[in-house]
Amino acid sequence: MAPIVQVTKLDKYFGRLHVLKEVSIDVAPREVVCLIGRSGSGKSTLLRCINFLEEPSFGIIEVDGLKVDASQKGKERRQLVHDVRLKTGMVFQEFNLFPHMSVLENVIEGPVTVKGMDRAKAVQLAEENLDSVGLLFKKDEYPNRLSGGQKQRVAIARALTMEPRVMLFDEPTSALDPELIGEVLNVMKKVAKDGMTMLVVTHEMGFAREVADRVLVMADGEIIEDSKPEDLFGKPKDPRTKALIDRYRTGSN
Amino acid sequence: MHPDTTASLPNPAMSQAELLYQAQQRKDRQFRVSVALSWIFLLLFMFFLFSGQSFSLGPFTFSTIKIDRLFIADNLLFIAGGLGETIRISLVSITFATLLALLAALGRLSPVPPIYALSTFYVSLIRGTPLYLQIFFFFLALPQLGIILPGFWAGVIALSLNYGAYMSEIFRAGLSSVGKGQREAAMALGMTPGQTMMRIVLPQALRFAIPPTGNEFIAMTKDSALVAATGFVHELMWRATKVGRAQFHNLEALIMAAIFYWIMTLILTALQSRIETRLAKGDR
Repeated sequence: MAPIVQVTKLDKYFGRLHVLKEVSIDVAPREVVCLIGRSGSGKSTLLRCINFLEEPSFGIIEVDGLKVDASQKGKERRQLVHDVRLKTGMVFQEFNLFPHMSVLENVIEGPVTVKGMDRAKAVQLAEENLDSVGLLFKKDEYPNRLSGGQKQRVAIARALTMEPRVMLFDEPTSALDPELIGEVLNVMKKVAKDGMTMLVVTHEMGFAREVADRVLVMADGEIIEDSKPEDLFGKPKDPRTKALIDRYRTGSN
Repeated sequence: MHPDTTASLPNPAMSQAELLYQAQQRKDRQFRVSVALSWIFLLLFMFFLFSGQSFSLGPFTFSTIKIDRLFIADNLLFIAGGLGETIRISLVSITFATLLALLAALGRLSPVPPIYALSTFYVSLIRGTPLYLQIFFFFLALPQLGIILPGFWAGVIALSLNYGAYMSEIFRAGLSSVGKGQREAAMALGMTPGQTMMRIVLPQALRFAIPPTGNEFIAMTKDSALVAATGFVHELMWRATKVGRAQFHNLEALIMAAIFYWIMTLILTALQSRIETRLAKGDR
């Protein structure tokens, strides 16, 4: 199947620091791909380049037929970036819910303001998604009244209500207390089961192993391994991958 | 069980934490009551100081300051008549100042060099010169160029420009209080920079800026007294100095104006703290 996300020879510099080195990845429709690696390996930056929260320095990003070259400039590019963002939903480590809006307002904000969707229709869609993350009963609460796990589930509902083709998760459970991680992972599993294409930057090896179709391992701005989870966790090719997996194994014991 | 020992406690069911809490409450209440009594004493002392009475203590005779009550009674309404103008000029000026401050703060965030420069230039120029000078500039210097502004509007322009420059810092702080993650979340949803500003950043920044803006308004009601110097805005200060000079009763006239300003400030401060508690209670 033709890939729905295609990153070709992506380079990213932060000042003089070369954080992504000619990275290329493909993601097929309905595929769940986990990105793992030590902090500073470039996995979050790669994810954030896909919806242009980071400006790629060189390379090509293609999402569902929309192709943006890092060298492109001007109005046409702005429009393309906007369209790419409509096709991608993003979930952040720090949730980033809008604190001045209720849960429901958070979720309908995108469809109403960006897509110009009819409010009643947006509310209906939002309520369906809040229900599927199990938080419809909190729709009139403000984010500061929610636990971290609930905030993140609302954030997932907010992203889904934009009806994206691809969901990007940037360490969605890293800011959570350990006992709240499970509820978020369960929602993510459900989203995966519903056939969403997902790119997940994570430290949750259990999730990667159980849910991912493919795991990409990053180190020093490069992808050092691209395997099925059973292969990766069974017999890692690169010693750095082995070290990474061992570290989590001992960490979780 | 020893009924005698339990009876000596105020309430056997009361926990130690409850006792400590109540003791602390009592202490806090005592402090508040003592402060209030001291305030009343200080007020009474000031009344006494201006009561014009003489009294002897042994060989010494003391007399307090004598003020002309007849003058006060005669001019009370005239001076009080300036309250409306003081409030009017302050309200109009704070409105323009808020708009200017917001524009200046947004200009400070602009990546466009001329806009950034305009904003910093304005703030630097206004903050680098006295408010008194600015008021005279718009009232006395502009006519030389053929621009004659009514006193009220000269005052409004000077006060707005001046407060706008100072208040731009409030709005700048408000805008930077909104985390980067908020902008990123809005951008990831596909919002344009304009939508991100209007829907996400500004509402949060303004909420942050409301209490300090209230403080500026209170300060402005007092600084508006400087506009009296132009002689054409008949607010509190102008009226007080007018009758005070004419009848050589500046003492009484200024005391009256001071009391009016003080009461106004007390009321505004009370309003301000109510708004603040309401904002603090609201969800954010």
